Amino acid sequence: MQNHINMNTNNIIEIQNVTKRFPVGETEFTALSNINLKIQKGEFTGLIGPSGSGKTTLLNLIGALDIPSEGEILISGKNVAVKSDAESALLRNEHIGFIFQSYNLLPVYSIFENVEFPLLLQKKSKAERKEAVMQALDWVGLSDIANKKPSQISGGQAQRVAIARSIVKKPDIVLADEPTANLDSTNAYKIMDILKKLNEELGITFMFSSHDSKVIEYLRRVITLEDGKVKNDETK
Amino acid sequence: MFEFLFKGLIRDKSRSLLPVIVVSLGVSLSVFFVGYIEGMMGDMVDQNARFGTGHMKVMTREYVKNIAQKPLDLSILEAGKVIQELDKSYPEVDWVKRFNFGGILDVPDENGQTKTQGIAGGMAFDMTEGNSDLRRLNIANNIVEGRMPNGPFEMLLGQGLAKRMNVKIGDTITYFGSTMDGSMSFQNFTYVGAVQFGLSVMDDKTFLIDIKDAEQILDMEDAVQEIYGYLPNDIYDDQAIEEIKNTYNASFAESDDEYAPQMLALRDQNGLSTMLDMVNTMSSAFTFFFIIAMSIVLWNTGLLGGLRRYTEFGIRIAIGESKRDIYKSLLLESVIVGVIGSVFGTILGLILTFYLQEVGIDMSDTLGNSNVLFSNVIRAKVVPTQFWIGFFPGVMATFLGALLSGRGIFKRQTSELFNELGV
Repeated sequence: MQNHINMNTNNIIEIQNVTKRFPVGETEFTALSNINLKIQKGEFTGLIGPSGSGKTTLLNLIGALDIPSEGEILISGKNVAVKSDAESALLRNEHIGFIFQSYNLLPVYSIFENVEFPLLLQKKSKAERKEAVMQALDWVGLSDIANKKPSQISGGQAQRVAIARSIVKKPDIVLADEPTANLDSTNAYKIMDILKKLNEELGITFMFSSHDSKVIEYLRRVITLEDGKVKNDETK
Repeated sequence: MFEFLFKGLIRDKSRSLLPVIVVSLGVSLSVFFVGYIEGMMGDMVDQNARFGTGHMKVMTREYVKNIAQKPLDLSILEAGKVIQELDKSYPEVDWVKRFNFGGILDVPDENGQTKTQGIAGGMAFDMTEGNSDLRRLNIANNIVEGRMPNGPFEMLLGQGLAKRMNVKIGDTITYFGSTMDGSMSFQNFTYVGAVQFGLSVMDDKTFLIDIKDAEQILDMEDAVQEIYGYLPNDIYDDQAIEEIKNTYNASFAESDDEYAPQMLALRDQNGLSTMLDMVNTMSSAFTFFFIIAMSIVLWNTGLLGGLRRYTEFGIRIAIGESKRDIYKSLLLESVIVGVIGSVFGTILGLILTFYLQEVGIDMSDTLGNSNVLFSNVIRAKVVPTQFWIGFFPGVMATFLGALLSGRGIFKRQTSELFNELGV
């Protein structure tokens, strides 16, 4: 079992007065402005809003892929902004999973090897890796195609493999950026069903960025961003 | 982890096979180029040394002043004694006598009337079996018709000259010339064979006779025009030759005898000094620029190899691999590709060089009218430099390419990189 973050409170993510600015030529563009959010463990939350509203920027900050210009991002009470590149990498490796719009599987590796990759970074033994990979593939219903290459499977299957890769290390948080954008309705619902099940049965906290109504249907909490600010925060 | 990355490297042909092929080709060209230049340079030195200049040559001072005319009357007298002293002072050097002289060759018809006639250059050396000059000049192996002279007054002709003189084996050829003292000299020789020197200038103009016959027709017993010196195994060594020349000439520095011996090194003759220096400089410059050009090509390969993998790096960063580890793996891969490519390229380059060393390219049609002492067959030469020179463009350039493309990743903000990659 993965080393989970010791939690003193139930807030797994705390975003405190976060502003993010990007330089654009001589000036700066403010992508996020004074964001304050608390995400509790086990939430199934979505960031929605039009393009350019700051959804992906906020996900990047939570995923320790970037640091805020102002404010703090706390993952289980620890400020990710002060971590070194190696520490951020370790944080992502141990506690955060990513799901992308375009699956982003490594094409030269088999399905099994793609899912196995995060465990190699954790230096798990071969037996441990095999057990965890097959379990993750079971969760997404793909254990029978473990030896196939990404080019040999459909888009829906590829996204399920990406889900298996994100959960194989049993992370605390999975950040999903537009996970259904490239899928048809049937596959989109199938993916959301799987993610919901993982949330309920494994207690993984999911945070989405999407403007797909099919995703929004499943969300228990919807945070609406507009022009880099929280416009609405609604729990169903 | 290494196994995982290596597996990816092997499976992704565009990351392994293609760069290895490009590196191999680049390295093989570099290696071959060095061998080709060395072969051409070595060949030029070797041909001049064998036929024209020796590694060093002893003549009288007056002869040196008029060397272009090869004047017989300014030859060394008491040649045996001079050679004995040379052997004593420089026993490692092989000292041999040679004559180079001119004359008219006349081929009579069955009635004794001139059938063909022409001016030719004569070369005489010791044709006694087992003599070092016989091996060095390699005449026996280059006879295209007939045989080596084995009796008195037998003559070989360059194949071009033989054709021009329209002679058959066994025909009589009369030599008209002058002795050392300026008297007329006539002698009948028997034509016994034609030689292909591999040098157009000699094939068309030279006849060969044994040195004893030359001594007789030139009236030069115990006299010699030029004494040639060759270092052990006929390996040219500019520095050693210069040392011998300087010590030998120093021993006669006090003498004011105009017929005192004087030694010239190979580079002192036929304008070879300037030519050798120029060719050396040019070949070094060509080799340098060629290696640089190949390095740029291979550096670009490494650079592109890194750039086209940004998406993969983005995924690996998201999964939790640090930028430092990704960067290290990129460099390691470039070294693996560079080393494998360099090994294959070096082997390929050496095979090509060896092939050209053994077989050569026949340029006789192109060099037909050339007066330069250059072999008709262009040959490369396998030299020790070739075993390592290819690793500079092969490994270093590929590594530098990866180093630079990797730095692009390393220096960016992670999310900036991440977004740029379109992940």
